[in-house]
Amino acid sequence: MIAVKDQIRVRPKSKRRFSTLLEGLLYLLPSILLFAVFLFYPMFKTIYLSLFLTDAQGNTQTFVGLEHYIQLFQSTSFLSSLKATVLFVLYTVPAGVLLALGLALLANQKLKGIGFFRTIFSSTMGMSVAASSVIWLFIYNPTIGIANTIIKTFGMTEMQWLLNPDTALLSVALPTIWMNTGFSFLILLGGLHNIDSSLYESGKIAGVGDFYSLRKITLPLLSPTLLFIVTVSLINSFQTFGQIDILTKGGPMESTNVIVYSIFKDAFVNFNIGSASAQAVILFTFILAVTILQFKWGEKKVHYQ
Amino acid sequence: MKKSNILVTLLTLMALLLAACTGEEEPTNGGAVQADQPKEKTEVVFWHAMSGKLEEVVDQLVADFNEQQDDINVKAVFQGTYEESITKFNTVAGTKDAPTIMQVFEVGTKYMMDSGKIEPVQKFIDAENYDTSKWEQNITNYYAVDGEQYSMPFNSSTPILMYNKDAFKEAGLDPENPPTTYEELEEAAKALTTGEQYGFSILNYGWFIEELIAAQGGLFVNEDNGRKGDATEAVFNGEEGQKVFQLISDMYEDGTFYNTGQNWDDIRAAFQSGKIAMYLDSSAGVRDIVEQSSFEVGAGYLPVPEAADREGVIIGGASLWMANGIEESQQQAAWEFMKYLTSPEIQAKWHVNTGYFAINTEAYEQQIVQSEWEKYPQLKVTVDQLGDTKTSLATQGALISVFPEARQKVVNAMESLYQGTDPIEALNQAAEETNEALKMANRKK
Repeated sequence: MIAVKDQIRVRPKSKRRFSTLLEGLLYLLPSILLFAVFLFYPMFKTIYLSLFLTDAQGNTQTFVGLEHYIQLFQSTSFLSSLKATVLFVLYTVPAGVLLALGLALLANQKLKGIGFFRTIFSSTMGMSVAASSVIWLFIYNPTIGIANTIIKTFGMTEMQWLLNPDTALLSVALPTIWMNTGFSFLILLGGLHNIDSSLYESGKIAGVGDFYSLRKITLPLLSPTLLFIVTVSLINSFQTFGQIDILTKGGPMESTNVIVYSIFKDAFVNFNIGSASAQAVILFTFILAVTILQFKWGEKKVHYQ
Repeated sequence: MKKSNILVTLLTLMALLLAACTGEEEPTNGGAVQADQPKEKTEVVFWHAMSGKLEEVVDQLVADFNEQQDDINVKAVFQGTYEESITKFNTVAGTKDAPTIMQVFEVGTKYMMDSGKIEPVQKFIDAENYDTSKWEQNITNYYAVDGEQYSMPFNSSTPILMYNKDAFKEAGLDPENPPTTYEELEEAAKALTTGEQYGFSILNYGWFIEELIAAQGGLFVNEDNGRKGDATEAVFNGEEGQKVFQLISDMYEDGTFYNTGQNWDDIRAAFQSGKIAMYLDSSAGVRDIVEQSSFEVGAGYLPVPEAADREGVIIGGASLWMANGIEESQQQAAWEFMKYLTSPEIQAKWHVNTGYFAINTEAYEQQIVQSEWEKYPQLKVTVDQLGDTKTSLATQGALISVFPEARQKVVNAMESLYQGTDPIEALNQAAEETNEALKMANRKK
């Protein structure tokens, strides 16, 4: 009897819950559809392809299970790709975010003509990766480039920036930082604008120093924006392709052969779609893990107003 | 109020856009109606990878062809580099979007043969009893397997030694006598290395290594360079390859060899700015280099070790492939265009405007070729070098489907030489990795 009563009591609730779920899904339908076509389907297809040997057109031929994955983790070339990718992220993300933050703090001052500097600092956003890379290609050119001219005037011997495995990755990271700064700067500046100015005024009345107000007012209130920028920069950095393709083509000795470039080469130059798909899946897991960790860590530190 | 204003503006914009679209369409429609053509022209779509000045020359050839007859309309479409265009071909092959004629680089030959999407041109040669004897034997050999001509050679090039004659004079060397052996090359490079100038350089590109090995008669892979059956093992790490790598390694340690990376423009810039006095280039670049250098430029044969017999060079460049699974009339039209391209007059134009070889040897007797040779004797060196080539398995070139991958491995090995890796070790490593790639490719069969 009690059970029946319970059921009667529960049913309308679950029914209501079901209809709200349906309603919610209906609202989400457009984005779910788009995601399904452009994200979920390709993702599952990639996982599927990574288990097969394929012909050049990407048609599956033989099922090989996890062989591609096993081979990848045994291949020195893939392991050095992993290393290059991690190093590249370490070179570009912290430096890029700090630089953009510094510039944003500077540009947030209310000074005469600051608009000019704001435009200059964000200008790299308007440059395409290809165009910027070609500019840097000339800068680094060992015979006619300006980089060597500069260090020669300081009495140092000239360097082969992009041809030396020790400096190549750094030499690609530098333009990447430069290119990404514009976007990070703009978002951070927007974040700074959103901070209530009355807080600074109260701080001033209380006689608080600039550095203290930066630490206690600006950074905590900017933290959601910072988290966003760090996440986006990380993902961008993991997926860097254009500058690598133009500046080094993954060389010398695969020192700049980051995973995305290695995927491209395997899929579209060597036509090993299966192995390339396996690498894509590994990269995906990697980025997913890092992003989850970041949000876990970030939730504690980030201060939402 | 504000919102409705925006809406109105948007709608107006859209209407304008629509109007612009239909506006654009009209003239083409009108044009088709106006032109009175009793019969429809057969459309031939020609995909190529010739950029810059080369593209202009191709477009000119196509325009000339379309003008001189009424039945066929060839449409030349630039599709990016060789690698990019073959990737695009790959995705549309067998559909109605596929091109009728496709230009593919020499190392893609085996790949195209295996693709099953192409018609060997031998079919048309047989059907017409077309006389191929006037074709340059050394070029057609590359694209023929078991006596069957698969594709039509089009733009062919070989490597040559380019050198700075002025620098030779300053160093006390004979500017008319470029080094022909490794020993002479090392000596000359030593004499030429002064101050900012290095003696010699080779682009970090697999093709040059293949050529230097073949010049000594060495093979690249087993199974008779992949022409008897599917190659299973790389043999480029044999004696001949070791000599090449030893040479680079020795010269780099001596400080007479300069590493210019993987970019063609960089090595040419280094030569033109006097950074290097000798280097290997493709014959297709000869004319530009000679024109753009501020000093006198000489061209010489590819060097070989003193003890080795000179076999010659392998042909590089690209050939034209015909699609299958399309209408007979289209194939016939494509064949007509191919024949046009190989005629002596067109080949002569092609040769002098680009530096690529004429595949029809009669072209060299044309007046424009003779007069250009007087102006650019360097062009003739490249032709002579090819003419002196002995036909053999080595100079016929290797046939493997994983060539791009093999080249990456070889480039890696080259780059490791500059880090002090033992040349034999570097070469063996590249061979081993190529074996892996071959094994994988053979499994896919």
